[in-house]
Amino acid sequence: MSKDILVIGGGIAGMQSSLDLADMGIKVHLVEKLPSIGGKMAQLDKTFPTNDCAI
Amino acid sequence: MPEKNEDIRIGVFLCHCGSNIAGYLNMEELAEFAEKLPHVAFVQRNLYTCSEGGINEIKKGIKEQNLNRVVVASCTPRTHEPLFRSSCGEAGLNPYLFEMVNIRDQCSWVHMKEQENGTNKAKDLIRMGVAKAALLEPQEAIMSEVEVRALVIGGGIAGMTAALALANRGFEVVLVEKEEALGGMLNRLNRLGPTMMPASDLTAEKVRAVTGHPKITVFTHARVSEAQGFIGKYKVDIETESGVKKVDIGVIIVATGARAFVPKGLYNYDGKRVVTQLEMETLLKDGLAPGINNVVMIQCVGSRNNERPYCSRICCQTAVKNAMLIREQNPAARVSILYRDMQMYGVENEEMFRDSKARGIRYMNYSPDRPPEVEPDKVRVYHALLGREMELPADLVVLSTPVVSQEDAEVISRLLRVPIDENGFFLEGHVKLKPLDFATDGVYLCGSARFPSNIREAVAQGLGAASRASIPLSKGSVVVEPIISVLANEDACRGCGLCVALCPYGALEIQRTEKGRKVHVIDVACKGCGVCAATCYQHALSINSFTDQQIRSQLEAYLG
Amino acid sequence: MLDVGRHPNIELLAYSEVEKVEGEAGNFSVTVRRKARYVREDRCTGCGACAEKCPTLVPDAFNEGLRNRKAIYSLFAQGIPSTHTIDADHCRQMNGKKCGICAKTCQAEAIDFDQKDRILELNVAAIIIAAGYDVFDPSQIPEYRYQEIPNVVTAIEFERLLSASGPTGGHLDRPSDRAIEADIEEMEKSAGKSQKALVKFEEKYGESSAAFYEKYQSGAYPDDEDRKKWADKYADHLTVVEPLEALRKKAEGFDVARRLAFIQCVGSRDFRFYPFCSGYCCMHSIKEAIIAHEHGPDTTSTIFGMDIRAVGKGFEEYKIRGGNHSNITYVRGRVAEIVEGPDNNPVVIYEDTRERKVKRQEFDMVILATACAPSKGIAALVKTVGVELDPYNFLKTSPLSPVDTTTPGIFVCGCAESPMDVPESVAQASSAAERAAEIVFQTDLIKEKAVA
Repeated sequence: MSKDILVIGGGIAGMQSSLDLADMGIKVHLVEKLPSIGGKMAQLDKTFPTNDCAI
Repeated sequence: MPEKNEDIRIGVFLCHCGSNIAGYLNMEELAEFAEKLPHVAFVQRNLYTCSEGGINEIKKGIKEQNLNRVVVASCTPRTHEPLFRSSCGEAGLNPYLFEMVNIRDQCSWVHMKEQENGTNKAKDLIRMGVAKAALLEPQEAIMSEVEVRALVIGGGIAGMTAALALANRGFEVVLVEKEEALGGMLNRLNRLGPTMMPASDLTAEKVRAVTGHPKITVFTHARVSEAQGFIGKYKVDIETESGVKKVDIGVIIVATGARAFVPKGLYNYDGKRVVTQLEMETLLKDGLAPGINNVVMIQCVGSRNNERPYCSRICCQTAVKNAMLIREQNPAARVSILYRDMQMYGVENEEMFRDSKARGIRYMNYSPDRPPEVEPDKVRVYHALLGREMELPADLVVLSTPVVSQEDAEVISRLLRVPIDENGFFLEGHVKLKPLDFATDGVYLCGSARFPSNIREAVAQGLGAASRASIPLSKGSVVVEPIISVLANEDACRGCGLCVALCPYGALEIQRTEKGRKVHVIDVACKGCGVCAATCYQHALSINSFTDQQIRSQLEAYLG
Repeated sequence: MLDVGRHPNIELLAYSEVEKVEGEAGNFSVTVRRKARYVREDRCTGCGACAEKCPTLVPDAFNEGLRNRKAIYSLFAQGIPSTHTIDADHCRQMNGKKCGICAKTCQAEAIDFDQKDRILELNVAAIIIAAGYDVFDPSQIPEYRYQEIPNVVTAIEFERLLSASGPTGGHLDRPSDRAIEADIEEMEKSAGKSQKALVKFEEKYGESSAAFYEKYQSGAYPDDEDRKKWADKYADHLTVVEPLEALRKKAEGFDVARRLAFIQCVGSRDFRFYPFCSGYCCMHSIKEAIIAHEHGPDTTSTIFGMDIRAVGKGFEEYKIRGGNHSNITYVRGRVAEIVEGPDNNPVVIYEDTRERKVKRQEFDMVILATACAPSKGIAALVKTVGVELDPYNFLKTSPLSPVDTTTPGIFVCGCAESPMDVPESVAQASSAAERAAEIVFQTDLIKEKAVA
């Protein structure tokens, strides 16, 4: 029995899920296949690295 | 508090933000300038100060250079101040001995073509930030307990989903519905796309689960009449048929739904031969009357115009669904949909759209400058793609009217001190990144109260809002930034109450003390907006980290 | 993003893949492979000195191949974690050549060429799949000639061209022009080399190569071997310099792209590829057109689409604002073909369905609003995890349980579920978090009962 959660994918959706769970006090393991998280959204101009990047 | 004679050592970190800043300002010149400012002991330039590497440099500076104030000149504090503050904290420096200077949004970005002037402006900004930093004082975060009970306003599909989710997590929930029955808009629908499941089945299942849940208290035919307090500690009055119930609440979810626009005076609407899609749902539920062989639907009736500029998202899918159900009940019926753009976004909608074409639903494009005309037994339309006027026989005309905000949206907005947008829908904290939160902590949002949503979306948002609301409930306490109003000079306060009247967050109250009437700040409710401090003619109130003295020192630095 | 990297409750396992999942809701055993970066996470500070010195250039996928990165790299400048990674396929040292420059450069002694993959075993109560999507590869559509016509790009490539941190620093330089500029640079290098050889002869004989060559050609030095060499070298030099001059002249006329075409439904609403609507592309094109206009106020954009689907909060208003203030024209029609016109200008052939006319229009650049394609790795992943896909290869859900997969305890959010935009992804991510947290709470209840 475990109380941890696995999140697969470190794009905007995976990051938000992880943050919600972690803020609830749940331990999250976030697996991302690329060297850094951020996903497609990190490639977008004007959402990143401007105001909207603070997620 | 810092010692009077404390040796102030300020570290200034200049962020290149890739090329966002360094591409337009002379960073070398800025660094040389910063080094000469009073109390500055260390200056460093970083490609991205917010990167892990940059943060480590700040920490290293605090430890190795004995910095006791940190200034970062970079982007906007709105997004990055929390990060830099907590990084200072992690290095052992009080997080409030940090000052941020925005040399990007209001400097490099607006002076892209004037490097010299932009650099000079950045110098002014940095000089002001350093002057303020020298006067900063340490602050401690404020903690407050959270009442572990949620209030959900609205018992439609979004509200019921949110209530059930929270209850399934073990939290107590109070669900308030203004109508006599739970279900909201579901109660008026026939079948739900794309599965065509009867709406009543879903309502029955959800209502049973909600009313049978030991953690959920339901008040129907009830409304919230008062909500005082702040995240974690709301005192809520619920007006019910059996009198006013008072409950202590920690978090609030707004799931008040929306209405269908009634197109009075448009397209000869009469509710009989010319009906809305919502009325069509009832006609289909009751069984289509015989003799309805020609049906014409008109999209964007009362939306995407000057009065209501928005696209109401779900009317196209409703029309397609109802068109198919009409053909199901009367396979001989001819159904035409007159549209501007068919908004069948995503996988399921587009699938239903394709399916409907295969089932013989006809689509005709019209242009808003030549809208269709409804006549007693026909609809005249200029087919924008064929380029000719057409006459469509019509036994029934169905108008797809937009989802509009609830009549009481403004009342709830005032009650909970949360904003609504120009169309009367509730305004989330951030359109992209905080779709289910309000700017006010402790209040959350889901379903058509936010923006028109179909069932799938309302369910998803109900679950999502429950997730957001469960965070303070799970923690049991909230920690608030100490940049708030304080009664810095109690003797000066005359207890006039001017500030209390103006505070937008209900964070001030007058208390009787030994020294007479004095203002008291409810710290967790205060957002540090500064209205009170600006209003107080006695200068009794002051905002932490924005004291008169600090602001004066910035102005003096600017004026040189 | 940074919050994720810093949160004490989040263990960030980047550069890792899930290899095996067993068990059931409340109790899954998961095997994760942590791929070797050949850089020690505990030592690397992300300073980037190694990448600066690395001699090997590799097309940078993060910038859609529009510029190069090194064989040791971080995905992008603000990437979390900032730990660098050695690309073993391209690294000289890893391929048996003598190098190791990065290891010599790294002051933190973080480079470890012998690092091995590590296997990590996890025990979790629930799993959330947020594996995202792939950008549709438009070279599958022959009539749009993507990759044949250099100035036809995808929306995400265009995004990188618009970005201040992208390959052009945010200038809308056309790919064809950038290619020519790269050629000029190459030719300048080789011209520089041949010039050096000529200088030696010029010093030796005390006259300019041009003057000598004229005399040589009129037969002035019939049997002079040395001068023949000079003449040959000069002739070679001219074969470089003359086209170089021509290209330079051409490049003088280069300008940023000002006439843009956006083509909607590239791969979406197309029976050959994906019949569904990708949802976000209309707004994405409008956004890119508005930003391009911000970059250059005389930029004009034409958006070709069947329906412009602006269904989110404030979207229709944004679309109209784009038309009124950002020189965007919306044309209702599906583009039939793109051909190349003069000056590398793409020419769009389409039927304006409102005017019922087939038209041709020339642009500086064409941007393809590509479909949200199911991620290529998803079939393997769902097999590992044990959930079902829908007919399009998105994860199967139902309208009343929008984030529940076909297996209890496993949830999905974002574009792995179906195409959606950022706010929807964020909302759905919270929904999945809620469902997963419910499993944890039930696990708690079971534990409490067991203790009692």
